[in-house]
Amino acid sequence: MRIALYVTCLIDLMRPGVGFAALRLLEAAGADVVVPPAQTCCGQPAWSAGDRRTARQLAEKSIAELEAYDRVVIPSGSCTDQLRNVYPQLFADDARWGARASALAGRTFELTEYLARFAPELPLPDAVGGHVTYHDSCKGLRGLGIKQQPRTLLARVKGLQLTEMADCEECCGFGGAFSVNFGDVSTRIVDRKCESIAAVGADAVVGGDLGCLLNIEGRLRRRGDESTRVLHIAEVLAGGGES
Amino acid sequence: MHSQAMHFHARAAEKVRNPILQKALQKAKPLFVGKRAKGIAGLADDGLDFEHLRSTAENIRNRVLADLDVWLDIFETRARATGAEVLWARDGDEVARLVVDIAQRHGVTKAAKSKSMLSEEAQLNEALAAVGIRPVETDLGEYIVQLAGEAPSHIIAPAVHKTIAEIETLFAAAHGRPAQPRTSADIPAMTQEARAVLRQHFLSAEMGISGANFLIAETGSAALVTNEGNGRMVTTLPRVHVVVTGIEKIVPTLDDFSTLMRLLPRSATGQTISNYVSLLTGTRRPGDLDGPEKTIFILVDNGRAGLLGSEWQDMLRCIRCGACMNHCPVYFSLGGHAYGWVYPGPMGSVLTPLYTGIENALDLPHASTGCNQCGVVCPVRIPLPKLMHGLRETQIERGLRPWRERLALRAWAWVAGKPAIYRWLTRRAVRYLRWLADDSGRIRIFGLAPGWTDGRDLAAGSGKTFHELYAARKRA
Repeated sequence: MRIALYVTCLIDLMRPGVGFAALRLLEAAGADVVVPPAQTCCGQPAWSAGDRRTARQLAEKSIAELEAYDRVVIPSGSCTDQLRNVYPQLFADDARWGARASALAGRTFELTEYLARFAPELPLPDAVGGHVTYHDSCKGLRGLGIKQQPRTLLARVKGLQLTEMADCEECCGFGGAFSVNFGDVSTRIVDRKCESIAAVGADAVVGGDLGCLLNIEGRLRRRGDESTRVLHIAEVLAGGGES
Repeated sequence: MHSQAMHFHARAAEKVRNPILQKALQKAKPLFVGKRAKGIAGLADDGLDFEHLRSTAENIRNRVLADLDVWLDIFETRARATGAEVLWARDGDEVARLVVDIAQRHGVTKAAKSKSMLSEEAQLNEALAAVGIRPVETDLGEYIVQLAGEAPSHIIAPAVHKTIAEIETLFAAAHGRPAQPRTSADIPAMTQEARAVLRQHFLSAEMGISGANFLIAETGSAALVTNEGNGRMVTTLPRVHVVVTGIEKIVPTLDDFSTLMRLLPRSATGQTISNYVSLLTGTRRPGDLDGPEKTIFILVDNGRAGLLGSEWQDMLRCIRCGACMNHCPVYFSLGGHAYGWVYPGPMGSVLTPLYTGIENALDLPHASTGCNQCGVVCPVRIPLPKLMHGLRETQIERGLRPWRERLALRAWAWVAGKPAIYRWLTRRAVRYLRWLADDSGRIRIFGLAPGWTDGRDLAAGSGKTFHELYAARKRA
């Protein structure tokens, strides 16, 4: 069983530790993990901008470099949504690529989805977070139906206490280019998320998508919250995000 | 209403900085969300399943849209048989002309109106006022925004953007009394005050203008779903009643209507049924105690027929419940006026470009995080994010995006297609980010994406990419 770890462009650039944490988790789960060396970006920014042609080019590239593996695991709900739900749409008018896209879609998993399904007994280290709250990212939740998996996994971390915040399923306001093009609107939305987090009084907010986490962390810090940690679930489950 | 949708950016910037508006929105959101959640959960008490009901409702609306001309034909025949007149309007201007003409023929000096978003599309109040006919909005929220000289900011809660203090100022001025300090405990008293004023208008208006939530083809009736009872006054007291509504509002049978009614109030306000549900059929018959002497339907296209058979047809299923905006993080950061035309929120971000020109509302399809909170609550399963996405694609196909954005995207995609160059560039990019960061590892002002750092810090990372660290680890 050869598993491809798709690191995502954001993790590659902004927080490599999340990629290494995912790698450690998958290896601990007994998988033969490969990081396909030519991976760059799944093409979601082009797709979101409405540039179907460019999105297709990058989708073809990703499909070609990932389809040789038995499974693909991605520590991001939104990139997984791109491979699983968008790629087949991109090639709806192309039988050959469409079949390849669908085959890959069926073998692609978001990290917590993969761990909860294929490694339910995986030993997890003690908590790095202590008291945490969980933010459900939109694409993972509403695109892939990921809700229980991260909670099931977090419940198995010794010493970790999860308290749900109000409106944990509400968007954080990231939305990729939206957060830059409509920065002030995005800030207003993430302010509400910061208030929900503050109301819980947790040591850390945990999520499965680095985009959302950078947005939440950036706003918490700007609001003067220097103490609430903002962690990717891979970092929590792997006992830290060191490389 | 003249569209201001091209000014979305500027209007949005103003709205997020308006503390009074933000206070009003902050208060309204949990009410809308909580009430709907309770209303939908209550379906189970009646042995109904939301998803099953949604599918049924979706099918009813799709069946109508597949043969809309036939259903309209049936409606027209049945409505005429009840004594009503049926007129057709191609656009808003034609609606205004027809209504003004009817009013003048019947010697109307005052028209009492119940809520109608289509009359906003047609700028009907302005057209009536221009010929000396006074339009009086009688829905409480519409009455408030009319006093303020504003447009509704929500399709079912027109004055949701107003605070009690603002409404008190408007009432005091309009009702000729000194303003008082008010709290939510005073809402019943303020409502009574408005009722007393409106009652005189109901009795003196020669014409009533309403919309219709649905048109029932089999009976030729208009269905009106309201909570204040003003709709009944408007449609029964004046001697002429004009129904202005969109051609897509048809449902085939009363049975279909009852299915949709299980979803509409629950999705809108969480009610199992609204306080008033009226089925208006024909004119006053001999022996009737009330009812108009003349009932005239004006069935309006204004862009709707153009969506039939297109990739946007799903949008015509809309039953105007407002659930999409009530669950939209963008709507509740801005209120409805930022959207610049009649319909706000996700449904507005689709309808405004389609009805007023894609090139006139370039920001709206992009003014979404893609969270799909609208899509999962829509009672007729309109794939709103997919439609907004389709509009983004259309903008690119028509060359309507700024060249800088296009160039940036192409350049990035070219690099992303060449892994060796991509690695080289990203290694440099992360070092540059690291260099920009302060002692705490954060960037406070980032010239390449100022929209980000206006409101947020950016954690700069360690200065190394995952792939270079991974390669180093493998070599070791």
